[in-house]
Amino acid sequence: MTVRITLKVNGVDHRVAVEDDTLLLDVLREQVGTTSVREGCGVGACGACTVLSGGSSVSSCLALARRYDGAEITTAEGLDENDAVVSSFVECGAAQCGYCIPGFVLMSTELLTDNPRPTEQEITDHLEGNICRCGTYPEIRRAVATAAQRRSPA
Amino acid sequence: MPTLHRPDTLDEAVELLSTVDNPMVYGGGTAIQILIKQGILFADNFVDLAGIPGLREITPGAGVLTVGPMVSVRRMETDQRVRAHAPLAAEAYHQVANPRVRNTASAGGNIAHGDYRLDPPTALLVLDATVLASSVRGTREIPVREFFVDFQETAIEHDELVSGIRIPAQPPGAGRFVKNSSLGENDWPCASASVLVTGSTMHIGLGAVAPTPRYVACDATGLDDQGAVDAALAAIEPELDPIPDVRGGVAYKRRLARATVEDAVRAAWKDLQHA
Repeated sequence: MTVRITLKVNGVDHRVAVEDDTLLLDVLREQVGTTSVREGCGVGACGACTVLSGGSSVSSCLALARRYDGAEITTAEGLDENDAVVSSFVECGAAQCGYCIPGFVLMSTELLTDNPRPTEQEITDHLEGNICRCGTYPEIRRAVATAAQRRSPA
Repeated sequence: MPTLHRPDTLDEAVELLSTVDNPMVYGGGTAIQILIKQGILFADNFVDLAGIPGLREITPGAGVLTVGPMVSVRRMETDQRVRAHAPLAAEAYHQVANPRVRNTASAGGNIAHGDYRLDPPTALLVLDATVLASSVRGTREIPVREFFVDFQETAIEHDELVSGIRIPAQPPGAGRFVKNSSLGENDWPCASASVLVTGSTMHIGLGAVAPTPRYVACDATGLDDQGAVDAALAAIEPELDPIPDVRGGVAYKRRLARATVEDAVRAAWKDLQHA
């Protein structure tokens, strides 16, 4: 059954038509146009499809779109280049091919909102479900620590 | 694709379960979506619990915490009441998948999934939790130690849903959860164990080393740490019945099960000495 729902994506309402089995990932890419949300593993293990819903990270590849009617969704497009996390990733060179980076940026945003001064272990733990096949993990960890400093200087 | 039903009340949900063809309860949906993609899940109707108010509550009672079925696994890990009431349970929930999947996965769906490799059941078994199962016939209580009946099969009937989990307060003593994975840190565990030492009894919950999560207990009166390890290994021996797969063969999994239990027992004994 086709149902019309509203997704508030990066502050803008989008009226979209979805079926019972439509995944949030596909709506965001194909109807909303936020293509920073990417499919990787398809089973919630790699983090490339991460979005924030009401500030909480969600694997959009495992999320039924109908359940997100009215939800406030943030994708990487919603963060500008002055954002502490985004600018730290750029300055630390925390990307090679970049496919996974929107997911890492959003997971890091969630972490720093809940825990403004995470330890190295807490950074690693929070990003455990995100995979970078280029292997830029050291730069990513440094970027998150830098962003923490930038958002809440000691 | 199954039809998605989105009831507003628990009564509506159980009514749907008793009337529609081949229904399945849709909780967090993380496991369901993976099984759909793998082509091994067959249902004609999903009954989605997400829109029903009250199912995300954690309710303290006399010595018992009642957890609603839609409480996220993430909240079971982070909620201060769970951490204070049953730290062993909080630790087992903390080890499930990754933080993002834990945000979506539900406590009720986790046990209803009934997979033999799940982390939380090991803790719920040693804590002697109770599962609440609701249907149009009413609500019944199922001791979690009788809940996992066979491979991927629970005591939940087809017209029932998990409407709550009651977790007794963790008694004084020491509790530890340990798991080991053989392919990658985020993969299903190859062996997991919760150990709870209280008074003279050692309770052990085992994951991934038999077709169902297993529970055993043994007397720990007067034992030192090596004695406790020996007693624990003797107690689990009859329960070990690993399923060989890409994560390891039978001999490897039996050995890893013993190493996992030994690690958990030694850690618990250390906690007791420092208490």
